[in-house]
Amino acid sequence: MPEPTVKSTSRISRRTVLKGAGVTMALPWLESLHALADTPGAAGFPKRFGVVFLGNGINEDHWSAEGSGAAMKLSKTLEPLEPLKHKINVIDGLFNKAATGQGIHPAQTGSLLSGARISKGAIIHSGISVDQMIANRVGEDTPQSSIVLACEQPMTGYHETNFSMAYSSHISWQSPDSPVPVEVYPSLAWDNLFENRGSLINSSILDRVKDRAEALGRRISSGDKSKLDEYLTSVREVEKRVEGTRKTLGKAEDAAKLKNSAPIAMMDRPANGLPEDLRDHARLMCDIIAIAFQTDKTRVASLIISRDLSAMYYPFLDVKDGHHGASHDNNSAGYERIAHFHLAQYAYLAAKLDSMKEGEGTVLDNSCLMFLSNLWIGRKHDNSRLPLVLAGGLGGTLETGRTLNYLGQPEDNRRMCNLYLSLMDRFGIKVDQFGDSQTRLANL
Amino acid sequence: MQRRPLPLIAVAVLGITVLSTAPGVSAFGAAAPAVALDLQFTRTVRPFVVKYCAGCHTGPAAAAGLDLISYAKLDAVVRDYSRWATVHDRLASNEMPPKQVPQPPVEARRQVVAWIDAVRADETRRHAGDPGTVLARRLSNAEYNYTIRDLTGEDLQPAREFPVDPANLAGFDNSGESLTMSSALLKKYLQAAKETGDHMVLTPDGFNFSPNPAIVETDREKYAIQRILKFYFRQPTDYADYFEAAWRFRHRAALGKPAATLASTAAAAKVSPKYLPMIWQLLGDKDSVGPVAKLQGMWNALPEPVLNQTGVNPTDVNPTGDNQPDVLRAQCVAMRDFVVRIRKHTAMEFTAPLVKGLPAGSQPLLNWKLRAYALHRRESEPKDLRNDTDPAPVVPPVPRYPGLHQEAAPRWAILSAKARADDADLVVPAAARAPYEAAFARLASVFPDTFYVTERGRYFPDDSDDKGRLLSAGYHSVLGFYRDDTPLMELVLGEKDQKEINRLWLEFDYIAQFTARTWTQYFFNQSGEVAGRGDEGGTPRPPDHEITDSPVIAAMRDAYLAKAAADPKNDPVAPEAIRYQFDGINATLRNLEKVRKDAEPAHLDALLRFAARAFRRPLTKLEHDDVLAYYRTLRDKNSLNHEDAIRASIVSVLMWPDFLYRFDSPAARINAAAARPLSGYALASRLSYFLWSSMPDQELLSHAARGDLQRPGVLLAQTRRMLKDDKARGLATEFGGNWLDFRRFETHNAVDRVRFPGFTNELREAMFQEPARFIEDVIRNDRSVLDMLYGNYTFVNPVLAKYYAMPEVRGDAGTWVRVDDAALYHRGGLLPMSVFLTQSSPGLRTSPVKRGYWVVRRMLGEVIPPPPPVVPELPHDEAKSDLPLRDMLARHRENPVCAGCHARFDVFGLAFEGYGPVGEVRTKDLADRPVDTSATFPGGSQGSGFEGVQTYIKAHRQNDFVSNLSHKLLAYALNRSLQLSDEPAVDRMQVRLAANENRFSVLVETIVTSPQFLNARQVIPEARPQTKPDVRKAD
Repeated sequence: MPEPTVKSTSRISRRTVLKGAGVTMALPWLESLHALADTPGAAGFPKRFGVVFLGNGINEDHWSAEGSGAAMKLSKTLEPLEPLKHKINVIDGLFNKAATGQGIHPAQTGSLLSGARISKGAIIHSGISVDQMIANRVGEDTPQSSIVLACEQPMTGYHETNFSMAYSSHISWQSPDSPVPVEVYPSLAWDNLFENRGSLINSSILDRVKDRAEALGRRISSGDKSKLDEYLTSVREVEKRVEGTRKTLGKAEDAAKLKNSAPIAMMDRPANGLPEDLRDHARLMCDIIAIAFQTDKTRVASLIISRDLSAMYYPFLDVKDGHHGASHDNNSAGYERIAHFHLAQYAYLAAKLDSMKEGEGTVLDNSCLMFLSNLWIGRKHDNSRLPLVLAGGLGGTLETGRTLNYLGQPEDNRRMCNLYLSLMDRFGIKVDQFGDSQTRLANL
Repeated sequence: MQRRPLPLIAVAVLGITVLSTAPGVSAFGAAAPAVALDLQFTRTVRPFVVKYCAGCHTGPAAAAGLDLISYAKLDAVVRDYSRWATVHDRLASNEMPPKQVPQPPVEARRQVVAWIDAVRADETRRHAGDPGTVLARRLSNAEYNYTIRDLTGEDLQPAREFPVDPANLAGFDNSGESLTMSSALLKKYLQAAKETGDHMVLTPDGFNFSPNPAIVETDREKYAIQRILKFYFRQPTDYADYFEAAWRFRHRAALGKPAATLASTAAAAKVSPKYLPMIWQLLGDKDSVGPVAKLQGMWNALPEPVLNQTGVNPTDVNPTGDNQPDVLRAQCVAMRDFVVRIRKHTAMEFTAPLVKGLPAGSQPLLNWKLRAYALHRRESEPKDLRNDTDPAPVVPPVPRYPGLHQEAAPRWAILSAKARADDADLVVPAAARAPYEAAFARLASVFPDTFYVTERGRYFPDDSDDKGRLLSAGYHSVLGFYRDDTPLMELVLGEKDQKEINRLWLEFDYIAQFTARTWTQYFFNQSGEVAGRGDEGGTPRPPDHEITDSPVIAAMRDAYLAKAAADPKNDPVAPEAIRYQFDGINATLRNLEKVRKDAEPAHLDALLRFAARAFRRPLTKLEHDDVLAYYRTLRDKNSLNHEDAIRASIVSVLMWPDFLYRFDSPAARINAAAARPLSGYALASRLSYFLWSSMPDQELLSHAARGDLQRPGVLLAQTRRMLKDDKARGLATEFGGNWLDFRRFETHNAVDRVRFPGFTNELREAMFQEPARFIEDVIRNDRSVLDMLYGNYTFVNPVLAKYYAMPEVRGDAGTWVRVDDAALYHRGGLLPMSVFLTQSSPGLRTSPVKRGYWVVRRMLGEVIPPPPPVVPELPHDEAKSDLPLRDMLARHRENPVCAGCHARFDVFGLAFEGYGPVGEVRTKDLADRPVDTSATFPGGSQGSGFEGVQTYIKAHRQNDFVSNLSHKLLAYALNRSLQLSDEPAVDRMQVRLAANENRFSVLVETIVTSPQFLNARQVIPEARPQTKPDVRKAD
């Protein structure tokens, strides 16, 4: 089967408007290429962190989990996770205190991954999100520090609560003032990962600088030249490192191509434009995350399948209302199907990662993949607890196959930020405080 | 090490005549004295050193780190002359050798002292004005930040997290000697360049830099919106200002300006020259009734100008006489408030056209309403007037807010009816209503109900708490902006300003793409309303087009038109509203596409201009082509889009050595071992990095381009201009901060904030700023440099004023005022500034040692050798020690090993014991013992407190201060440590200073006209490939 190739494309700027030329596509996984070197580096296999987001909550009548290990019992909405239940933790009772009491929707979403207090009106201000905290730490070693994807375009007007809709449309925040722009085009997400564009540009800039410094060196005094040499040496060193990173990755890919033992997935570049059908779209986004994790293009990903106040339609689920409308009747069978669909995508991604061998285990075993929504009961805008699943053992640092219930405990023990602190610990990010929390989550 | 032969250079008379002197071999280059000195060294000096000094000053463990035996030849002494200057001083003052050891004969001592003097004289004479070795140097962190600020127009400070730059021997971080590069630092530069690039915003005719990163759409919006708001807020729209200006025009003769016109009066009052005549005319309308008559009555009741007793015309400041300064203003304000009230109560109101099956919040319908508001702000609603025969109005109760997407007008109508119910000025005679209506209309035509709208909530107009949606259209959830500034355009703005605000709105759309984004968000989230999918239903993506394509927009328009036509009861204006909406979107999008395409060449031109400014000189043809070629590569090979390619090109420019480094290129290359004048551009950079710590501005570069910067008149005029510029704060902070060692105080963390809770970050910042503000004032107002020592004044902001118990300063932390008679508060000049007193304190006690050391070393320039390895500990908490520090230090000085040095500076610190560990004035130490600030200074004079220090310095050490300042400033200006050959320049600085009231500018002017500043040592290229000197003009 062919190597991944870049098809010539008429490129669309990610930052120009999301124009929606409809292109249907069905891209099969190509099971031809083979695994990365299956010996871990000195620090073990890299740890990855991913978040899959569903807007507006779940059907609470069909969301529960009991017991542990093989005996774990999953309710209807969680059924897609049945084959993986020894590799997941279903956590109940956590909530985000900062997202309560400020109004519905955007205020319940804008700080979901940060626990920050958000601002109303023209000032957009939240907090750096946990995925970006992790990306800042582990992202240096990979071509992309993180990938931030969405199947639904952002809305950025004002909600009736006078909070910006930007809070509803983004979960990843790179700074308190700026969300990470979401990529909705699978083709562009793919390009960013596989063209190594960031490091390519770095190399080309350094290359040019080198040429310039060499040319300049021929025209200046020996004293000045010694300073310039110092500069040139530094440029060469950095360039070597950039090249080195690219080469290592190239080698990993080459190795993957040669071996036959542990198959890894490869995919063609997705076509331009947006997939017509949400099912195709979500699947492509999951595929991109999986392959990015496996080939170590990035170690952090977030995916909004539907945003808060989603305007998505689900004709294929036989639901007439749009997503947000349907969530106001969230204990309906129709809304259960919507939540179930999201869980199925999450399970698909987890299973994909679990099919990717890495040493004795799988990529999933070295990851923590989180499923999260901003609400528990849509019709009440109730976010006093949040639907939450973690998949993957995070390189043996996270015991799985458990159901953890924090309901009924004091508020301080139930904060999402407790969980984030505990997860960041496992990524070597030791901070005393994050968002509204100063304590680690008990029993994780 | 082989001594490198110093090039022989033209030693012209120091000062501005040097440029007219042709370079050549100096006649002073006689070798004879050096030979004699060498001989004397071997015969006299060396044996003296071996006999009397070597006992202590030998080897790696030499006392004070001074190994005198290591100086085997004259050359070695010359290279390290500053230490031999200390040897000279210690010998001359009989301090060395110490009393306990055998003393040399008087004559031998005299000979050695004379020899050291002779070395200095000889070196100085032979090489005076030598430019010295000034290495290529990268921008220091501070220079990098300032340069980015001036290059981008925004103070981005991308180097704020860089590792601290090391200082050279002179104590400054701006020389090639100390500024090194490493791969770690280079990565930071790359990061900083990218960060700067992230602030770039493309505009139709170039690019700007935004104060915030401009990658994310919400950030781009923020930038573009703020520019528009700033424009609005700077427009003169306060009616009271116009009434006051009209009054001045009316009384122009009495106010001493008989020739004033409306235009000149408007200009003087900073109001619109277009608008003032309209108001003037209304105030003069004949036969007015109603509100116009009432306004005219108020106008005619304004006070007359009052001639003061001397018969002189009243001043502009106080035109109505000394006794009633605010009367005029108060009455103009009353006139304004009257107009504003009437206009508020008679403003037109509109509703969205009704279409069955569509909510009032439907964008085409809502926009029609917003448009109606924008177009009718200069009209009065006749229905709001009441006949005098009408019964008192009955206002129904105010209803609740309407639901989402519903019409908000009924609620607003009741709110405004309620507001005007008691307004007697709206009552008109039923019998003569027409002229009254006309008067209201006339008033409205001159006074709009508002000039512009800066925010809308989801009900508009409204009284809700939906604040802060800047320029918003008020749509529910979907992004949207609406421009409503017709009255401002029509009444206030001149042609130029109209163009400006039109441009800002176009750029807003260009930068933030809001029309396209609004359309897309609306399409996916609300346009389903037309197909019956509800208020928040979207439309599926069309299979064959992009959403922003004309046919998609037209199809949506037609669906709405069909809806409007479907029911005969629909508002007949609805089709027009719908066409206006969709055709408007289409036209805007198509226009922006064209603007976008046309702008690309302009962006490349801007990129070339940017590169030239970054390199501080015009680009060569080669460089010009290279910049363009790189952009092309990024587009074609790396398949970046236009914007990303421009951004990456900017990053690349910021990584070029030509930006990051300063090279002193001479004007012409002549292969001779002589100093050459700097090129105009190199001189411009040297000047601006000296005076501003930043890149040259356009004016300076234009002189470089014209080639006249080396002309003394031009050079001095530029220097004076630059010293007055507020960028001279760079010199105050960078030179002052390094010279006096407070540059790192912004991160000073040694204060125990539990014990000193008053020490906040704000106070720390204010303390840091105080000396910088003081020195800046000396620089920009060309005061005496001695003010730094004796000035009985200082500068404080609100925080510092409070800390110093000075009178309250109102304003924010950036408000700095001068406080005279600072001695009342035990402050004044640099010496008692809290930053120095705090920085020297190790936490819970003061450190007289460090404070004294700071005074003699930093202020007076005395060289103190490093302390021996074993130093007795002082207690870390003053409150827990049995003895006052003064007594402990006295014991310390009983030890002769310590006394030699400590006697020279401890006393200065002891005099400052009246200030605690955070620079606070105190009478008792932390253990509650009264503090003693008396001191016996070297030489035996007595004094106490900082005033005692001032008196002592004035009497005995003022020259040391001036000499030290001169040395430091010259080293800073030259970007290198000083050498012996700089001494004549320093001498001249001091001489000229004394002859010119010690004004700071004299130091600077002497430096910038010195040969070492104007010249560079000849550059000898190793190989010289033939490059065309095709130099392009940068603009």
